Amino acid sequence: MTSETIDQDRIEPAVAAQRLSKTYRLGELLRLEATIRTVVRRGTERPLLEALRNVSFEAYTGECFGIVGGNGSGKSTLLQILAGITPPTSGTMTVRGSVLPMLAVGAGFHNELTGRENSFLYGTILGLDRQVIESKLADIATFAELERHFDTPLKRYSVGMQSRLCFAIAMLFPANVYCFDEVLAVVDGEFKDRCLAEVRALATRGAAVFFISHDLEQVGRLCDRVMWLQNGESREIGDAESVLERYSRHVTGVAAK
Amino acid sequence: MRSAQPTSPPAAPQPVVATVRAPAKFRLRLTQLLADKPVIWALAGRDLKSRYKQSALGPAWVVFQPLALLVAFTIGFHSVAHVRTEGVPYSLFALTGLVVWTYFQAVTMSAVGSLVNNYPLVRWTACPRIAMPLATLMSNLPSFAIPAAAALIAAGATGYLTIQALLLPFLFVWLVFLVAAVAIFMSAITVRARDVLSVTPFLLQVMLFLSPVGYGTSQLSPVLRAVISINPLTGLIDAWRWSLLGIKPSTTAVVISLSLTSIGIVSAWRLFRSLEVLMADDI
Repeated sequence: MTSETIDQDRIEPAVAAQRLSKTYRLGELLRLEATIRTVVRRGTERPLLEALRNVSFEAYTGECFGIVGGNGSGKSTLLQILAGITPPTSGTMTVRGSVLPMLAVGAGFHNELTGRENSFLYGTILGLDRQVIESKLADIATFAELERHFDTPLKRYSVGMQSRLCFAIAMLFPANVYCFDEVLAVVDGEFKDRCLAEVRALATRGAAVFFISHDLEQVGRLCDRVMWLQNGESREIGDAESVLERYSRHVTGVAAK
Repeated sequence: MRSAQPTSPPAAPQPVVATVRAPAKFRLRLTQLLADKPVIWALAGRDLKSRYKQSALGPAWVVFQPLALLVAFTIGFHSVAHVRTEGVPYSLFALTGLVVWTYFQAVTMSAVGSLVNNYPLVRWTACPRIAMPLATLMSNLPSFAIPAAAALIAAGATGYLTIQALLLPFLFVWLVFLVAAVAIFMSAITVRARDVLSVTPFLLQVMLFLSPVGYGTSQLSPVLRAVISINPLTGLIDAWRWSLLGIKPSTTAVVISLSLTSIGIVSAWRLFRSLEVLMADDI
């Protein structure tokens, strides 16, 4: 039956994680002291850190999925796995479609290149076709309000301007899943509001959006559902309002102690 | 509101393909290199554009570097050490060696740091890691093209060029494979052990003296000749001199170099493939 297949399509999650774990070794990878210790056979094993532990969730197209948690709770690691930057240590994550990760302001930008050249480079790294990129360049300049500076090397940009460029690129290049990791921290108020509206619009137009921020008010305004990560474990997944309420109570409770 | 808002839906129009992120020992495939071609070119273009920005002489440096070495060799090896060159004018003899050396040195210098210097790309984007060392092969092509053109013109003008010059495209491919092996190998190791960064300039200096760039192998003692032949650059430079100037190469050196190039490219690829998975964590 046709209606059923359509329904099936709709409920297929854009991103599904099953018991995802990621383990890192703490400390430095190599240094002279450790080398000598290895040579004289007094090696010390570096302790392990479980950045993620058995995290499972599903996120759907058309939804804005927020992730909150303290520093080092595994938020960024989760998005790194989602973007295919690093593999999980165990567990799987199924991603339907292409991912556009915005995990750090200006990651992938080169100081000596102009705004236009950087946009082009970024699009290429995302795997987009030349024509697609070229058709979006003018819109990127307009959205970032950088028309006059688009052919100026990036090193002359302020941090805010770089962040605008970053965001404009994310808004205009096509993808199925978008990831934003605390990239709105340095842009000014008016632009920030516009970005939040646009992020919302990405989801409305049929993408899945992942959003990390320590600004809980922002997360609340933007996200439909929120996952609360604590020490690499998913403590709660649910509708934004209730999870955020309990999370903020937890944060103030910890601060009061 | 502005008119810059996207009118088309952001979701890619092509059918949505599901990919699985799972624990993996390898994920890099040879076939993927074709798909990575645009990224390799884009990174190479970026490196080329940025290399000579805010520089007074800019691209002219590509000419000065081999030229300065040529002058130094002519003084050191020709005028002081009286190196024999099988009747070929010394500068032409040395220039042929420099075709191989200048490219080898230029690529090695930029490839070693190609991954660690792109830390943000490795850490925050899924940019194919193999594209970074491979891009240095492209962005340093001028360091090959200029001495090669000069040597070709000089050999032609002095009448040394024969039918053997038809082998030059093959010798170029051989050179690219040898340099690629070094670039892929060194860049991957540097991600885990920055020692490579400290060792490379010094290693290149030693290599320059142990490669027959400014001298030929024919006048060396058999023992020394055997030692120098282990260097994969020796057979390659011999082959270039044979192709451009008609100087008889040492077959042993050529065979050694061809074998080392093949072994080198295969093992460099395998090493890169095994380190590539965790580069974002190790860097």
